[in-house]
Amino acid sequence: MDIDNIIENIGLYVHIPFCRSKCRYCGFYSRPVEDYDVERLIAAVITELDNCNCIGSIQTVYIGGGSPSCLPEKSLLRLIEYIYNRWKNIEEFTIECNPGQVNIEVLRKARKLGVSRISIGAQSFDHAELEFLGRTHNVGDITNAVTQAKNAGFDNISIDLIFAIPGSTILSWRQNLMRAIKLGVPHISAYSLSYEDGTILKQQRDAGLFAPVDEETDRAMYELTEELLEQAGFEHYEISNFARPSFRCKHNMRYWQNKPYIGVGPAAASCTGNQRTKNIADIDKYIQAVETNGTTAQETINLSAADIASETAVLNLRTADGINIEDYRQRHNLDICNVFAGPIERHCSLGLIAREKNNIRLTKNALPIADSILCDFIID
Amino acid sequence: MDVKHIRNFSIIAHIDHGKSTLADRMLQITGTVDSRQFKDQILDDMDLERERGITIKASAVMMKYDYNGETYMLNLIDTPGHVDFHYEVSRALAACEGAILVVDATQGVEAQTVANTYLAIESGAEILPVLNKIDLPSAQPDATAEEIEHILGMKKNYCFKISAKTGIGVKELLDAVCELLPPPADRSGEPVAALIFDSHFDEYRGVICYVRIFAGKLTVKQKIKLIGSGKIYQILELGKFGPKMTPVSELGTGEVGYVIANIKGLSDITIGDTITDAVQPAEKPIPGYKKPMQMVFADFYPGDDTDYSKLRKAFEKLSLNDSSFSFFPQNSPALGFGFRCGFLGLLHIDIIQERLERENDIDVVQTAPTVSYEIVTTDGAVKKIDSPSELPDVTQIKELREPFVTLEIITHTDSIGGIMKLAENRRCTLIKTDYISQTRVMLEYKAPLAEIVYDFYDQLKGISRGYATMDYKFTGFEESDLVKIDILVNKTAVDALTLIVHRSNSEARGRKIITKLRKAIPRHQFEIPLQVAIGGKIIARETIKSFRKDVTAKLYGGDVTRKMKLLKKQKEGKKRMKSIGSVQIPQKAFMSILDTSD
Ligand SMILES: Nc1nc2c(ncn2[C@@H]2O[C@H](COP(=O)(O)OP(=O)(O)O)[C@@H](O)[C@H]2O)c(=O)[nH]1
Ligand code: SF4
Repeated sequence: MDIDNIIENIGLYVHIPFCRSKCRYCGFYSRPVEDYDVERLIAAVITELDNCNCIGSIQTVYIGGGSPSCLPEKSLLRLIEYIYNRWKNIEEFTIECNPGQVNIEVLRKARKLGVSRISIGAQSFDHAELEFLGRTHNVGDITNAVTQAKNAGFDNISIDLIFAIPGSTILSWRQNLMRAIKLGVPHISAYSLSYEDGTILKQQRDAGLFAPVDEETDRAMYELTEELLEQAGFEHYEISNFARPSFRCKHNMRYWQNKPYIGVGPAAASCTGNQRTKNIADIDKYIQAVETNGTTAQETINLSAADIASETAVLNLRTADGINIEDYRQRHNLDICNVFAGPIERHCSLGLIAREKNNIRLTKNALPIADSILCDFIID
Repeated sequence: MDVKHIRNFSIIAHIDHGKSTLADRMLQITGTVDSRQFKDQILDDMDLERERGITIKASAVMMKYDYNGETYMLNLIDTPGHVDFHYEVSRALAACEGAILVVDATQGVEAQTVANTYLAIESGAEILPVLNKIDLPSAQPDATAEEIEHILGMKKNYCFKISAKTGIGVKELLDAVCELLPPPADRSGEPVAALIFDSHFDEYRGVICYVRIFAGKLTVKQKIKLIGSGKIYQILELGKFGPKMTPVSELGTGEVGYVIANIKGLSDITIGDTITDAVQPAEKPIPGYKKPMQMVFADFYPGDDTDYSKLRKAFEKLSLNDSSFSFFPQNSPALGFGFRCGFLGLLHIDIIQERLERENDIDVVQTAPTVSYEIVTTDGAVKKIDSPSELPDVTQIKELREPFVTLEIITHTDSIGGIMKLAENRRCTLIKTDYISQTRVMLEYKAPLAEIVYDFYDQLKGISRGYATMDYKFTGFEESDLVKIDILVNKTAVDALTLIVHRSNSEARGRKIITKLRKAIPRHQFEIPLQVAIGGKIIARETIKSFRKDVTAKLYGGDVTRKMKLLKKQKEGKKRMKSIGSVQIPQKAFMSILDTSD
């Protein structure tokens, strides 16, 4: 991330590129934690943070990965403390934790150092599914992690779940959802299993080693998720995200609002002004770059006004609020109803887009097939 | 040069039997092309031809050869070897007195060997049969000679045995060309008459006519007249092909060369027309040959409507160099503005399509190729219908006729059963079975062109494991029990999918088409009914289910760039399809209607 003098309020993402073991479906950049000098990486991340001249305030922080929870206590707390000392007005500070890697003492300390939200990679309440995914924790670890987080003083807790895992059924997914609701957390992200390039899972699927869940079931599971979670008092506020009132993830909302953020650490992405950059996705090269005062960016893309306006439209439409017509006009100097008149009309007539007084948003029917609609919101 | 020392001939052969190799060897032996700068297969000059291994356009070359102490001028006129280009073979032969018939001794007589031989016989050319590839251990020159005698009626003892590759026997063959092929008739005292047997378009010099002088002579600056069109021009340049175009001051009786006369476009001349002197014209044109009939038609639409004029320019360019290709504007309610194009056959379509893609950056939607039909209306008028959608209402039609061909298939005896079944399924009637040898047979069928126009050849190759060869010749239009099939996509009839088929298999075809379409049209956000209507009655229905899931589950900061790229691609994909109503139909779907395979 090579940005000077950011004045606006921004989000900060820190990528911890380590994991204890690799999950079979995972497409993130992460390496075995035991193979690296972790302290040196954390030092580099802090240096990268030092180098960024953020004059404005950091509004949200998200330490993700990888698995931040697999870091030695000392390293993790050092990073948290740096952020805590440097920026005062952080509204939301999330750390991702893997079940089985949660230590109540560390959580207590983190809470004291400003961390306000814990996101737990639960994924499933079914042993066989956890095994299929290549997760190393068990079902008990999930409940345990939630309890410890609560005991450490966190009320803003999120869990991640995955559905449409081969072998799962509507019934097994219903059980999963009920278990999740019973945990009493205010935020749930539920993702349909995706087969990312370069993952073992995808290779195995392509080799025909197992049959993916069919589309019809996948859709039914998605609809069930919405039904059960809404009944339980959650709002469906983004395609894969559900929250109790006032527990939406502020950091992630920034992404969908297309607001600026900076990312530090290997493979982290930043979006500022009209630039999107991505850091070097290689721990050693990243460390070397930081230590020699070189650039950490591996890729920088300059966006045209049309690109940015397209991104705003596409990202906004993923949320329940959709595109606010007035905000869009002010920000991009474009009348959304004009620029996308054709797609809006077509999708409205198919009941896929709702055109309200102030907003344009996807309908419930549209969410499961959102991409087929979003692609029409790109300006050439 | 004295006509006695001129020999004009063509080499005719089935594909891959060695025609081009033999031509190359002759060029080398006669010293026409320097061995060092020798580039294999000089005569096939277009890339495309080289790649596909077929010669599309006839071209000519002049060779000097010493025989018995005298120098001969040998003009070799190249011919294409494929089914679709019979007509070009005939026009090359019309300029010759003789033909060398090359048969691969490892393969024996094939379908185009037979077809080309018939053309040579019809043109009155003297034929020298040649057994090629005798250097190969698998060559069976004697058995092949038997086949030639049996099926083509030539004496087996008179077959030359050569290897075009190593050169064995080629010199003897050249001697025989001088010795055995007749010289042109000496009509040097008559008013000039020159046959235009080919042409090509040169951006700088305009039309270049390839001519064979039958009487009199042409000289530079001469005022000439085209007998057919009556147009008058002045000769700017004359020349011979050696093999490069080499200017000369005159072309005499019996000679082959080219004429440049400030002719603007290929449409200004007709291949087969006769050039004569404007002041002292010949009385009669040289008997030409039949113009090829375009029997196969397909529509081309720009993938993107804004490319219409680009597409028109591209077609104009293509037709400049290929007079057997034609195009005219067409307006389809479903596909918008495009062109209906006429072709000699299916290979011809492939070639045009490839050129279109290679030389122009245009996305096109091509409809399935169909044949021409003839109708007799209730008031007795006979009309040619080049597109199924032109067919008037049944009440106005007294008779519907479809084109028939004579189809010749040569195959190994062990695949006869399979081929007969295929032929039967395609409404072909067996006329004759002729055993060429103990293991090979020639089948002659009467076949509706519509049935063999699409994938017949591929199927034939499949059934015979690549052995069978085929050739066909148009014989005429005949009454047939035909019906029109309409395909409705999302309740709208799509004109580009309309088809005329025989009643006996119309229902089965209709069903097959929508089954294919169901696979070819991607699922949409809504359900799409596909229906088949025959005579206004729906006889079959299928449904394309709507897709149920198409969404990226996770989209956070690091994913935006990649996701936007994917969405852009998705959008482009939609754009490349034709939208008919609210349904997007990919290009390949328009071809799928003729695919009769399962
Ligand atoms: N061994 C051998 N191969 C030959 C001979 N003549 C042609 N070929 C090969 O047969 C193939 C087809 O020959 P080509 O001249 O392109 O056939 P065309 O399609 O009739 O022009 C090529 O691979 C040639 O090298 C020959 O006399 N002997
Ligand atoms: S723990 Fe998370 S980041 Fe690590 S491998 Fe598993 S899914 Fe990927």
